[in-house]
Amino acid sequence: MNRATIGIILFILVAGSALLATWLSPYDPIAPDYRNRYGAATSEHPLGTDGLGRDVLSRSLAGGRVSLTIALAATALTALLGGVLGLLAAGVGGLTDTALSRFFDALLAFPGFLLILLVVAILGGGSLQTVLAMGVAGSPIYFRLTRAFTRAELKSEYVTAARALGATRTRQLWRHAVPNFLGSLSVQAASTAATFLLVEASLSYLGLGVPLPTPSWGNVLQDARSYLTRQPWAAVGPGLFLAAASLSFQFLSDGLRDVLDRRN
Amino acid sequence: MPRYLLTQSASFVVTLWAVLTLVFFAVRALPGDAATIMGGLDATEQQVEAMRERIGLARSLPAQYAAYFGGLLQADLGESLRERRPVTTVLLERLPVTLTLAGMAFVLSLLIGLGLGVLAGLRPGGAADRATLLFTTVALAIPEFWFGFLLILLFAVNLGWFPVLGLPPEGLTVGSSWNLILPAVTLAIPRAAQLARLARARVLEERSSDYVRTARSKGLLPNAVGRHIASNALPGVLPLLALELGGLLTGTIVVEQVFGLPGLGLTILGGISARDYPVVQGVTILAVTVYVLVNWLADLAQLVADPRLRAPT
Repeated sequence: MNRATIGIILFILVAGSALLATWLSPYDPIAPDYRNRYGAATSEHPLGTDGLGRDVLSRSLAGGRVSLTIALAATALTALLGGVLGLLAAGVGGLTDTALSRFFDALLAFPGFLLILLVVAILGGGSLQTVLAMGVAGSPIYFRLTRAFTRAELKSEYVTAARALGATRTRQLWRHAVPNFLGSLSVQAASTAATFLLVEASLSYLGLGVPLPTPSWGNVLQDARSYLTRQPWAAVGPGLFLAAASLSFQFLSDGLRDVLDRRN
Repeated sequence: MPRYLLTQSASFVVTLWAVLTLVFFAVRALPGDAATIMGGLDATEQQVEAMRERIGLARSLPAQYAAYFGGLLQADLGESLRERRPVTTVLLERLPVTLTLAGMAFVLSLLIGLGLGVLAGLRPGGAADRATLLFTTVALAIPEFWFGFLLILLFAVNLGWFPVLGLPPEGLTVGSSWNLILPAVTLAIPRAAQLARLARARVLEERSSDYVRTARSKGLLPNAVGRHIASNALPGVLPLLALELGGLLTGTIVVEQVFGLPGLGLTILGGISARDYPVVQGVTILAVTVYVLVNWLADLAQLVADPRLRAPT
């Protein structure tokens, strides 16, 4: 079995469990149950219960839905932001190109996590803010990729031929350049999604991401840290979900590269 | 001075200026007004106004911008709103913990990452290669802080070799640097995995080059060939090393939180939650300056090591 197949199977399992969380969860992920606080892992509560008596497995399942949505939304945003501006820079050229390139260079000169932290601090914590912060911080890579690909395509002979036949710049970009690098971008996007899952978890772990009581893998783990020694399964379980999800995206990216990427 | 040094240095200055300008505007975009926060809940209008005057917020934006860079040149980062002390003092106090942690993590990741990467690359498909592939795959998929949890559970709770949390009251000493081993390992593993991947790829690339074939065909021992390959492949790892080293100053944020270590990471987190903006700004300035500086040095080192890169592109 190759990595791509493992990736697809893992992804179906993780995405399925998140989509079906409402039906799969044995308990309400948000309502507290004070008689069952810090419960050990038993057959009723496979991962135990947290400080408010909530079932950790149910919270992990519900948290997956939130974490996956955020990671995927942020990936879409960052690819779109960097991609569209990269296309614009390469297509228009001149001053627009210089200004955009310098701006993204300056963003790249920040250590990634610090940049995300600053944007979250400016916007305030929250799910939407997390998406925006990761969207901004991830965009320089997409800007550079799109810009480089587009410039190379625009110089190629078949685009010159198209231009000679009277194709407008917009048509050269959309009809000829974009379809040629969409594959490479999707390889990058799957890998970004894997990273963003971990970043969202870190932000929520620091209390700057998804606000409680909404569960996400990060804040479930944050909660678990406070009773780590009493109830280790509450910390181990959600982390395994998160690792499986991140791994599935990483494998999907590898698989996509083998199929799509023209550079190989 | 050679031309390439000049252009590199100019681009360093421009980048640093651009980044520090971004920081200036970012900090002014943070929610809430520092004067209101500093004045407290029951400050009168006049008191807040006086405070604005005192910390320089009453001036025009260009004047603030000039004062900002003027202060930077004298290593003056303003005064912490919460601690009422110069930010520079606060940072110097917190720096040793982060620097020690970052240094230990860097050395560890270098040893593990380059070691595994070179071993894997020299014999692709072998046992070492497969083990390295497994290691890098897993290490890059798990969240850093969760790996910290696992280390705490195993080595601190079950085996009792390390304390569960933080530093003793007397702070960082030679004795208590033992407490930094688990956090350093936590930081090092994902970084080692990235290094190992790149080092492996670089070694594989060198392995198929002509000089290696010649060296082999004239009967050079595999170990000697391996040394040739490694010494040619490793300069290519420099840019990643720089990103890693430069990023460690704030890369420790999450790990400091997990292990309760009072370094720069906890300082900036505290600054964000208490809206102590001079502190947030101070840590950010320090971190981005080091980041830009280290990356610039790595670029220079590469240019010095490899003359082919000096040609203008």
